[in-house]
Amino acid sequence: MDGRTLHFHLFGINNQNFIMRDEETGSWWQQISGEAIQGPLKGRKLVHVPQDEISFALWKREHARGRVLRPDPKVAAAGHYAPADWESHIAKMPVATNTHDARLPPRELIIGVTVDGHPKAYRMADIRRQNPIVDSIGSVPVVIAVAEDGRSVRAFRRNVDGRAIELFAKPSSSPVTFIDSASGSEWDFAGRAISGPFAGHQLEKIDVLSDYWFDWRTYHPETGIFRVGLR
Amino acid sequence: MIALPRGWRWMLLVATTVAALAMVMLPAWIIQPFRPQTARGVAFSYALRSISPIATIVALLIAAWLIFTLWRGARWWGKIIVVILLLLTSVSTWFARQNHFEWMFAPLAGAAYAAADAATFVDAADLVIAVERNGEAAAYPIRQLAYHHLVQDDVGGVPIVVTY
Repeated sequence: MDGRTLHFHLFGINNQNFIMRDEETGSWWQQISGEAIQGPLKGRKLVHVPQDEISFALWKREHARGRVLRPDPKVAAAGHYAPADWESHIAKMPVATNTHDARLPPRELIIGVTVDGHPKAYRMADIRRQNPIVDSIGSVPVVIAVAEDGRSVRAFRRNVDGRAIELFAKPSSSPVTFIDSASGSEWDFAGRAISGPFAGHQLEKIDVLSDYWFDWRTYHPETGIFRVGLR
Repeated sequence: MIALPRGWRWMLLVATTVAALAMVMLPAWIIQPFRPQTARGVAFSYALRSISPIATIVALLIAAWLIFTLWRGARWWGKIIVVILLLLTSVSTWFARQNHFEWMFAPLAGAAYAAADAATFVDAADLVIAVERNGEAAAYPIRQLAYHHLVQDDVGGVPIVVTY
């Protein structure tokens, strides 16, 4: 922020989304938005760094020379780290936010995508069933895809040279591969055309947020929801 | 202060103790998990948490002075009450300097990293948050992030905080 590196601490919770405090100014920041909500930096926003939420196997395939955060031995010894099936435990925890939006159950797992200021939620179950989802957010044609692990989700703007393309999954492909109907080119999960007339093209990636409906809805009250069969 | 009647000093001592306690208890009460928070509640908690480190010291000094003037002539039970009140104000002063959220979720001290091939502590199906900047790639396993909630790092020369 303004050329100064801030250091953060977990400091509280605001409607089930955590607050962090920076050591340098004491301002309070909302995790989901990266925006300061109290203190000297109130109203300022941290720059969002593009990121992926994907399975370790997929990440390792794409980044063989990357580095991985080690567990803290003390925390691991105390058994504080989440078990492999932690998501099923969280799914049973209570929800306490003031959301009266019953369009989806509060703990429905969704993928939140925001394009040009338009937020839209995709049910994880729909993405798995319809992989890939070919959709538009506002006037931007997008594609939402899940990898063969059933957990790693990515979204792209589906434009090649300014023209929207339609993508389909190549049957029983692993690693998952997509084919566009315009040229029959094959695309990988990184959004790159690996063969065919479009070979070498790279679709523009859009950041996605894996979230619970109640949390996404609390911080994106105007969000749309993808409905199967509707476009 | 000495000129104040004894009964007034007693009331002032109780009021000081209650104020110190309220200053640290109210934000902890408002900012608690599994309860909804309002914007006003959060602003109020921020204000209290900002002033409480100094305000509790002031309260402690006032309490100490009142106790000093009340000690002589107090009966045995009066002295016990005085000690309890001083203890409560001291606890408030100490708590105003604590971050109880980090009691529950210890911050990651000295983050260490392993090469992708050597990371046997992550399962293939485990989700990671992956960041790539200027050719440097880093992965943060979600099972670890779900506990620490945030990790500070520098990836490709960019200082980042990874949150979950």
